[in-house]
Amino acid sequence: MHEQATRFGRANHLTGITGLPTEDARSTGVIILNAGLVHRVGPFRLHVEMARQLNARGFPTLRFDLSTLGDSSASGESSSREQQVRSDVADAMALLRKQAGCSRFVLIGLCSGAQNAHLVAHSSEAVAGAVFLDGYAYRSTGFKLRHYLPRLLNPARVVRHLARRLRTAPAAAGSGFQVEFPPQARVRDELAVMLDRGLKLYFIYSGGSSWYFNHRRQFGECYGRALATHPGVTVSFNKEVDHTYILVGDRRRLLDNIESWLCTHFPQPAPARDTRQAAATT
Amino acid sequence: MTRRSEPDIPCHFGPHGGLFGLYHPGALGAKTAVLLCPPLGQDLIRCHRLYRQLAHALAGQGTAALRFDYYGTGDSAGGSEEVEWLRCLEDVATAAEQLRLRSGCERIVGFGARLGGSLALAAVDSARLDELILWDPVLDGAAHVAALDALQAALRFDTDRFVAPRPATALADQWQGFAVGICLRQQLAELCLDPPHRRTLLLQSVAAAADRHRFAAAGAEVATLSQPTPWNDLARLETAIQSHELIEAVSRRVQEALHA
Repeated sequence: MHEQATRFGRANHLTGITGLPTEDARSTGVIILNAGLVHRVGPFRLHVEMARQLNARGFPTLRFDLSTLGDSSASGESSSREQQVRSDVADAMALLRKQAGCSRFVLIGLCSGAQNAHLVAHSSEAVAGAVFLDGYAYRSTGFKLRHYLPRLLNPARVVRHLARRLRTAPAAAGSGFQVEFPPQARVRDELAVMLDRGLKLYFIYSGGSSWYFNHRRQFGECYGRALATHPGVTVSFNKEVDHTYILVGDRRRLLDNIESWLCTHFPQPAPARDTRQAAATT
Repeated sequence: MTRRSEPDIPCHFGPHGGLFGLYHPGALGAKTAVLLCPPLGQDLIRCHRLYRQLAHALAGQGTAALRFDYYGTGDSAGGSEEVEWLRCLEDVATAAEQLRLRSGCERIVGFGARLGGSLALAAVDSARLDELILWDPVLDGAAHVAALDALQAALRFDTDRFVAPRPATALADQWQGFAVGICLRQQLAELCLDPPHRRTLLLQSVAAAADRHRFAAAGAEVATLSQPTPWNDLARLETAIQSHELIEAVSRRVQEALHA
């Protein structure tokens, strides 16, 4: 494994670390997006551990900071945040294509990173897969039944809940990372478009998302059976872990699952010429 | 006066290129540069933005600065469980040399928050630091270990984070998101630092009267920031540390150092 710190991008404004396998590099590069405002190392260094584990399995990686986050500056363009994200990730793909000869890419993102991964995966032909950590989902009837029924059937919890409501002002649902989701129908349609293009999608939900997702079955309740049973879709829900994987053992299991999913869906090594020749000619 | 600073330069340096750093160039011909020693653990991530802003402020006034990650932290090589105090001290010295090399400055001011301040203080001779600016440095390692252990124990029952309490074994040998080796734990537990015999500014944002008196008695300048910093607050464990007052205080002190 070899890591290289780089400034890159259309305005040379982005900062990132490429991780290149020493041998048998695969043609699929993995790009890890910022989780919220945390710089590219990720929460509790999750992205560093992820990149190095995937490098060891032959995947070239890039962990980098989007415009204005971490160590990256503004591009100076007057474009929407969505357009900037698309352009930043396009720059990231160009870098990994140049340094490692990658021809297709998998995006991995947690929370806002998952939303950005969704945004780019929907619009970029170069994206072949995505891993969404606590990405989009919507409260279904099943969610409400699973959430409220146990509480209603327990009078002590009802009393505690009412007392709490009377004592405190209404708080935002969930812990501090609540974000606004686009309309459910739009997300469903965009996921369908991705799957029609042949993308492989891995949805991983943690207990930290339990304010809007509380059972693996909910994915089908949100997006329909056709999407939930599509061979390109993998869904997991681990209720006991937190949103940012603070425990070492939880991180290890998460990374093993992602590695296993990647190796299953993107198994082939890069053609021998790609990596070295592409690097030599640029 | 603020100048338009050149972009920072990401780099690898040190043994086998295993240390990651970001060099912020200063003005040509400057004599003094600042080495920004990061804290360890979650404090490193929480302080990242502030260190970047501080480095930009320094570069803007013509002073070169180097930010870096110790072995086993941030973007540097090594796993979190490999972080070790003596290696961190070596890394401070390596980074100071790297800063001298890149900036051409012989005079180096060391800055550090929390354990970053402790490391700058402990490495003052080996890294040939000419002056120190320390922000809430950890001087009593045993008390710090006890505080981190208490936070870790409370984390297990943190209902804002976990749906249900986690087994104690799942949290063992870790401090707030990072694996901790036996060696580092022991080294920190034995840590006990005295004021240095160098020009020093101690910036305090948590109450520590005894440290204030010890440093003042040793000739250090001591200043108190107006806002307390929530270092050991489980509810704000993933909230960035921000302090414009700190940036201004450090920038001012470095300017004074240039003319000292």
